[in-house]
Amino acid sequence: MRALCWNGVNKVEVENVPDPKILNDRDAIVQITSTAICGSDLHLLDGYVPTMKKGDVLGHEFMGEVVEVGKGVSNLSVGDRVVVPFPIACGACNACNMELYSLCENSNPNARIAEKMFGHPTAGIFGYSHLTGGFAGGQSEFARVPFADVGPIKIENGFSDEQVLFLSDIFPTGYMGAEMCDIQGGEVIAIWGAGPVGQFAAASARMLGAERVIVIDRFEYRLAIAEQHSGVETLNYEEVDSVPEALKELTGGRGPDACIDAVGMEAHFHGPLYAYDRAKQAARMETDRPYVLREAIMSCRNGGIVSIVGVYGGFVDKFPMGALMNRGLSIRTGQCHVQRYLRPLLERVQNGEIDPSFVVTHRLPLDEAPRGYELFKHKEDDCLKVVLKP
Amino acid sequence: MATHSIRTRDKDSLAVFLGWFSVGLGTAQLLAPKAMCKIVGASGDGASRRLMRLMGARELTQGIGILTRPRPTNWLWARVAGDGLDLSLLTLTLAKNRNGRTLLAIANVLGVTAPDVYESLHLSRKTGEPREGMPVRKAVTINRPREEVERAWANAQELRERVLEADATVSFSEAPGNRGTELAVDFIEQPPAGDLGKAVQKLSGKDLATQLADDLRRFKQLLETGEIVRSDATPAGHLLADHLKQRPAQPLEEAIR
Repeated sequence: MRALCWNGVNKVEVENVPDPKILNDRDAIVQITSTAICGSDLHLLDGYVPTMKKGDVLGHEFMGEVVEVGKGVSNLSVGDRVVVPFPIACGACNACNMELYSLCENSNPNARIAEKMFGHPTAGIFGYSHLTGGFAGGQSEFARVPFADVGPIKIENGFSDEQVLFLSDIFPTGYMGAEMCDIQGGEVIAIWGAGPVGQFAAASARMLGAERVIVIDRFEYRLAIAEQHSGVETLNYEEVDSVPEALKELTGGRGPDACIDAVGMEAHFHGPLYAYDRAKQAARMETDRPYVLREAIMSCRNGGIVSIVGVYGGFVDKFPMGALMNRGLSIRTGQCHVQRYLRPLLERVQNGEIDPSFVVTHRLPLDEAPRGYELFKHKEDDCLKVVLKP
Repeated sequence: MATHSIRTRDKDSLAVFLGWFSVGLGTAQLLAPKAMCKIVGASGDGASRRLMRLMGARELTQGIGILTRPRPTNWLWARVAGDGLDLSLLTLTLAKNRNGRTLLAIANVLGVTAPDVYESLHLSRKTGEPREGMPVRKAVTINRPREEVERAWANAQELRERVLEADATVSFSEAPGNRGTELAVDFIEQPPAGDLGKAVQKLSGKDLATQLADDLRRFKQLLETGEIVRSDATPAGHLLADHLKQRPAQPLEEAIR
């Protein structure tokens, strides 16, 4: 089959690789009909996630048709149309019992590497380094889905692929980012990053009843999409002198009730601190550039919540711990527990509360995936989200 | 309440660090005396090379002593004495050559003398018999009732034999908050040649703690999910020894079952 392989930093190519096979009884093989490039794939492309190996098949946002099931899978049959969540979860361990699916205790065969890095291991993820198990990803024609009786959700209504594909990652991820803000109604929420996750965080914050949502980015086309589709206010950080000051002034001096970091480890900004972070990251003296995180903490109102859904990988420098502690802020974060959100969010799509396809700007055949990565990485041609068709 | 004695030992991480520091420096002095002479600003002629080698042998011996003994108090004091010797030799060299490198070397020796003295005093304060081995526990929480876990353990013959061989003991208890069963394997970690032997075992993936961690993870997987999870990179399931030779995350040519 054809699959997109990581062949080194800034090098991805579509190659012929063997077709996946059933390895465990609870596996299924899915013929992929749509798959997307995620912002976190760019961290892999850029070489900021350790334990990548030449030839790794990427992709963790995908859906398709079940073509084979292992003998331990009774809830799916050949021909079913499914969306596959990016974390792999067994459904039987304590973490899964608590619906913390991205922390499944059994799905990562490389748990020991993850344990060394993070203290405790995390779940397996499709196409997302060997730290998360070394599972082949879904930017390919077929994919093997372990624990297929737990993760995939059947799509039985006549939705288009693009309306449901993002249930695999970015829609639930954005939603969880907003949910972690404890929105009761009447809040002001600030969101850094108007990429696909930021867009869904903004839309979700509105759905959950936030009174005002302010999205921060530097790309006008992305801010315009957020404004159009989610009715939010926007702030172009390249045009303001200081984001925390601007947010203070926009919120009666209080600061936003909650701040969502939908950017993560490769934050971009202007100023001397950016040069400092780039240099330290290049010298491998810090793995992540936490500029947005610093800004979110400094901006948040006293006693507020900082919700982190942008991806971080290792260590950050100049972390404003004093502000966090003394001003009583709470940090909430995590890789999304997608399985928990599949059904409720599909219902919201069914009820017409949201049509997730609004983020799609580019549709390419799988063979043009490398160009898709280029477009997305460099934000060329007003790119927001690339969907690949195998 | 009880004071736990898990992972208690006389040697702390500073002593272990200083031991490895000695081994590293000593090896360099023994194998590359000319380069080391240059670094400290000495002439590098036959006599000084021989002296450098001699100091290297001393350094290496101290390192091995620190790493292999359970409470290496005297070996740490030997490091302090060695620092004194190094300082006097370097002072002589400085008087002869007036070289900036020698001055830097003196500063470095002084820099390491401080932790040497600190750790020697720390170990000197310890009384009683030195603790030979370190009690280690590998534990896992399995989300199944205790009877079921005990029954599965009784049937896991290979695992039971390994535990028996290692003179380890197994215990089961109910995890707090209805989270299933805690399975704990306790043993005394006492590799031949102390920390030196431990490092060799660790690198080869043959130390018991690592193997048990792998085994218990698999035991848990089987009980909770009914299978050993395999990925494309680790088709045989999780084993530490295979980590470095993992395949790319790409489907296999042939299904291995």
